Amino acid sequence: MNPASQNPDAQWRAEQTRRQFFGRSAVGIGGAALASLLSGSGLAADAGAKTSVLQRFGGLAGVPHAAAKAKRVIYLFQNGAPSHVDLFDYKPMLRKMHGVQIPDAVVGGRRFSTMTGTQTARPCLGEITKFAQHGKSGAWVSDFLPRTAEIADDLCFVKSLHTTAVNHAPAITFFLTGAEQAGRPSLGAWLSYGLGSDTEDLPSFVVMTSVDKETSCGQIFYDFYWGSGFLPTKYQGVKFRGNGDPVLYLSNPAGMSKQVRRGMLDELGRLNQLQLAEYGDPEIATRIAQYEMAYRMQASVPELTDFSDEPEHVLAMYGPDVHRQGSYAYNCLMARRLAERGVRYVQLMHAGWDQHRNLNTQLKIQCTDVDAPSAALVKDLKQRGLLDDTLVIWGGEFGRTPFLQGSIDNTKQWGRDHHPYTFTAWMAGGGIKPGQSYGASDEFGFNAVENKVHVHDFQATILHLLGIDHTRLTYKFQGRYFRLTDVHGEVVKPLLA
Amino acid sequence: MPRSRLLFTLALAFGLQSPATASAAEPIRFSRDILPILSDNCFHCHGPDPKHREADLRLDDREAAIKHGAFVPGKSAASELLRRLTTTDADEQMPPPDSNRKVTAAQIELVRRWIDEGAPWGKHWAFEPPQASPIPPVKLAAWPRNEIDAFLLARLEKEGLRPSPEASKETLLRRVSLDLVGLPPTPDEVDAFLLDNAPDAYERAVDRLLASPRYGERWAWDWLDAARYADTNGYQGDPERTMWPWRDWVVKAINANMPYDRFTIEQLAGDLLPSATLEQKLATGFNRNHMFNGEGGRIPEETRVENVMDRTETTGTVWLGLTIGCARCHDHKFDPFTQRSYYELFAYFNNTSETGGAAGGGRTGGIPPVIDFTTPAEQTALAAAETKVREAAAAVDKLELELFPRDAKLPAGKSPAAAQLSGNVQAALIQEPVKRGADALREMVNFYKDLKPDYAKLLAKHKAAVDERDRMASRLPRVMVMDTLATPRETFMLDKGAYDKPGEKVSALLPVSFAPAPKDVPKEALANRLGLARWLVDARHPLTARVTVNRFWQSFFGTGLVKTADDFGVQGQRPSHPELLDWLAVDFVRNGWDVKRLHRQIALSSAYRQSSKVTPALIEHDPENRLLARGPRFRLPSWMIRDQALAASGLLVEKLGGPSVKPYQPAGVWEEATFGKKSYVQDHGEALYRRSLYVFWRRIVGPTSFFDVAARQVCSVKTPRTNTPLHALTTLNDPAYVEASRALAQQTLKRGGPADTRLAWAFRKVLLRTPSTAEAGVLASSLQKMQTMYSADTAAAAALLKVGESPRDESLDAVDHAALTAVCLMIFNLDEALTKQ
Repeated sequence: MNPASQNPDAQWRAEQTRRQFFGRSAVGIGGAALASLLSGSGLAADAGAKTSVLQRFGGLAGVPHAAAKAKRVIYLFQNGAPSHVDLFDYKPMLRKMHGVQIPDAVVGGRRFSTMTGTQTARPCLGEITKFAQHGKSGAWVSDFLPRTAEIADDLCFVKSLHTTAVNHAPAITFFLTGAEQAGRPSLGAWLSYGLGSDTEDLPSFVVMTSVDKETSCGQIFYDFYWGSGFLPTKYQGVKFRGNGDPVLYLSNPAGMSKQVRRGMLDELGRLNQLQLAEYGDPEIATRIAQYEMAYRMQASVPELTDFSDEPEHVLAMYGPDVHRQGSYAYNCLMARRLAERGVRYVQLMHAGWDQHRNLNTQLKIQCTDVDAPSAALVKDLKQRGLLDDTLVIWGGEFGRTPFLQGSIDNTKQWGRDHHPYTFTAWMAGGGIKPGQSYGASDEFGFNAVENKVHVHDFQATILHLLGIDHTRLTYKFQGRYFRLTDVHGEVVKPLLA
Repeated sequence: MPRSRLLFTLALAFGLQSPATASAAEPIRFSRDILPILSDNCFHCHGPDPKHREADLRLDDREAAIKHGAFVPGKSAASELLRRLTTTDADEQMPPPDSNRKVTAAQIELVRRWIDEGAPWGKHWAFEPPQASPIPPVKLAAWPRNEIDAFLLARLEKEGLRPSPEASKETLLRRVSLDLVGLPPTPDEVDAFLLDNAPDAYERAVDRLLASPRYGERWAWDWLDAARYADTNGYQGDPERTMWPWRDWVVKAINANMPYDRFTIEQLAGDLLPSATLEQKLATGFNRNHMFNGEGGRIPEETRVENVMDRTETTGTVWLGLTIGCARCHDHKFDPFTQRSYYELFAYFNNTSETGGAAGGGRTGGIPPVIDFTTPAEQTALAAAETKVREAAAAVDKLELELFPRDAKLPAGKSPAAAQLSGNVQAALIQEPVKRGADALREMVNFYKDLKPDYAKLLAKHKAAVDERDRMASRLPRVMVMDTLATPRETFMLDKGAYDKPGEKVSALLPVSFAPAPKDVPKEALANRLGLARWLVDARHPLTARVTVNRFWQSFFGTGLVKTADDFGVQGQRPSHPELLDWLAVDFVRNGWDVKRLHRQIALSSAYRQSSKVTPALIEHDPENRLLARGPRFRLPSWMIRDQALAASGLLVEKLGGPSVKPYQPAGVWEEATFGKKSYVQDHGEALYRRSLYVFWRRIVGPTSFFDVAARQVCSVKTPRTNTPLHALTTLNDPAYVEASRALAQQTLKRGGPADTRLAWAFRKVLLRTPSTAEAGVLASSLQKMQTMYSADTAAAAALLKVGESPRDESLDAVDHAALTAVCLMIFNLDEALTKQ
């Protein structure tokens, strides 16, 4: 590992110096557009040294604002909302009052989705499986997640998250863009815009999606979950596909070998050079670079997706699904490989957590899909020394009601409705203090009561770990300065290592 | 760089940032010099919005500010405003240090001078009616061909710049063809133009293009982006809709050069015109092109309100050039638009019979009110498909009686045999088979695939029948339009924009803070959409004409005279050439909102005809080419790149209108986005070669062949122009481009002749010019290289020639054909081919 990356402060200072240098020299060169294809600010990239991790393409001058603990983020987004009271937030009271109406004083006239909004019977529903404490930290994890339980001491459970939205799409949009309505830049877009990219061979913001095998209750993946909003579209997430070419149009057409393509691009470059000499437009130089980058991406993506260099024991950790393109396990391994190659932000989304009437049959299946791969990713990053500067986040858009949706006698159709008032997510690596459970809900797991963490606080904390002051990463649009956290958000200091 | 030169450059750069700021010699103009400073730095806390106003101070109102003691006209030294701007005390400093806002020393100096000059006030420029200034005098009198040129040249001369020489005839004809019809000229058209030495040769070429039916297709694209047109509803399920007859109305109206005021009135209120025709009612589809959220668990009223907001805000962007969405929740922080005005405008669109519920069974996106264009033949076909569904369901029903024994009156789901099934499967079984939808059936098929294969087979057959019936139903042309409820719906202000938090009752009222009510329309006639439309196109309206002219300018020159085409408000950018913008707006209205005349004016100007070659000095002085000392040069929209490839290769099918088409798309894109609920069934034959305008647009995952296009989810009036490797991959590897290259190569080979002649011919088909000697050399060496590689690998040659469905002339030598195909693909990917220059 590069020594500088072990010392974030030293590295940050080094980058500042380098950037000042290039910032100045770019003015002298004049054609700054030439300097970097991905540049959003006209900041020149280092075209020379290829060895240093200091190399950055694009990004804003002065960002990060402070030394960053995390260089990159892997967000394991669980679409549909995992049931906190069955997985992490153990509440003996629910077992004790199983089948008994939850007290009105606890519910307090809160709103729910139209699916239980009119239901008056709200019997408590005890956890559907067993809980135990794990690790030195004694974190509560249900036995549906045995592999996650094994790494409890590497994780930080945030048990007092709360949000405002009660339906999936607005709530997911809120988590990923800071607003319920579609159209704001997503977290990854903000990071690409502010921090630029550490690689020229791959996009800096990659999205991969997967769904449970039955596609029983999955919510669809809207492209605004990884959109760039009003930021330039080059900052939007590039979705790797679950079948065929991971990137659209990545493969050469049938009958066009790599050699033919290379030959063709050489001549294309020559003709474009002649045009550049004739027209003098720096955009032509950018075009030449664009085609070369496309060629590099064509080479780097197949190498990225070729798992033949992975040892058997590593593949085994992620589970048998790791070989199936488009599965959660496959995507987790891909996330690690992307992180290794300098991709800034990887957003995995796994649907199928929306158990309105199949909690007893489906939750376990769903957990089996994600448990081993999520834990394997953390372990794998750790054993490679990457966990220190990679922030991993696991969580959904809200929790599920501590009371039952459905009829208590019909166990097969037990369910829980959407529940925004408290829920749990975990974080690991990248400057997070491991082995702790932060915040708490009331004894019914209904309301967050201790050290509440709002979505905007969560986002402010993520940005902080990346060295970004969430109030200062802004973009002026339609006359207003916008930011990820809108006008809210406080960094949750106790979460930091 | 010598010091004096550097200073000059900096001064220029500053000048461009805020065009024509007051120099020390001329008096301060409030709206130009001061209002932007106050708006940018102060209005957020001291502006029109009373809820967030700090210290009860407002700086958007002169009297209020003076009364509060913010400044004393004529006495900057006694003015608190200036003291707060200049103090170093962090507690007193304005704007506060943590606000991320900063007023420069130069700006503070302007404020000082303004106060000392008596602090004169005025309206934001865009809210004052445009005035046609006199045509400015210029030194280079021979250059201007029309008024546009005079205004531009006067500014260039002021900046010490000269216009560029005229572009070559080939370049010019390609440029103007792409702009006016979205397609390149043919080499024959170029030849004719080159031979035509008459002084009006170019003028006649422009007139020919304006008269082409392709003109309406090209300009419809921009309008469809603004109208957020798509072929599906968006959101979960993303059901298909059939708004294409409305799209065809747009093409027809543009081709007929319908005056823009008429174009506005018919789309906003065609149904309210006296004895409205079917076409005029169809035009109102404009306001039904928004998305429609029919997700399960969704409250219909919430959807309905959201749709009304979309109509309101789209009107704001398209005609007023203002962003009014923020006033859903609070008074606008910068522009004179209150939350109350928002809901008064909202009231105009709140009176249709649309309920917000997904009527139509969710199978089709056509949500009433609709105009039904279904033919009797289509009705019969649908009835037949319905019969097939009933037959398939009956077979399933019969088997289920055996599989799920029960009282015959009960549904299968109530059988003891179904008791142990998972929730979703049991729920499906509770429905009568004939009522089961595709989603439930898909889940059942998956569940029983291995458990009971025979049953699963019947279910699959049932599902296929349902799919076919749904597909057919979704294709029947039912166009969503506007209507008016007999009993008007009441409109309330909504707290924070929440549909279920009504506040004070309001009624439809024009936002007269932007423009006065039209004089010639009676007051009661202003209270409906027709009145609103008439207000928008009233000759005295300060915004509509400016905003419209600016959008067209943006299409020709790449950037609008106002760069923020979607924001003419106080926070938007000021025009680079305010007098020109105003002159164009006044001229446009005076000449009957004649769009073709405006396009002709622009295309015929000397400014437009300039060469787009760049010099280092120009790029340094004016990198964005806002001053237009050279012609426009920028990458074509991706849809136009595809159309160009189709045209140059001879594959293009020139056919106006009709249902949307599904050309090549990589397998699995829709399936992955919809969890297998929607399958892309590619069309064949001429549908593959129709213009991009007709390509089917699924809202949640748009056509893959295009990049940097509006998402068609909400109104968009600015096309993004970025540059990523993914774009290059598209034009290099999408079968559409490979096939176009193969077709172009085939045409070329069939012409015969020596290799260099052939190459020059193919090159000219795309770029409309002859290659230079150096270029010819590169082309020849590349063909030779390809020829060598494909000779060594004839299997590869055969494979390449199979890309695309158009037939190949098998008499052509495969190696020759493949090698030339590769060269043509390179030509289609040249910077020059991708660019309008």
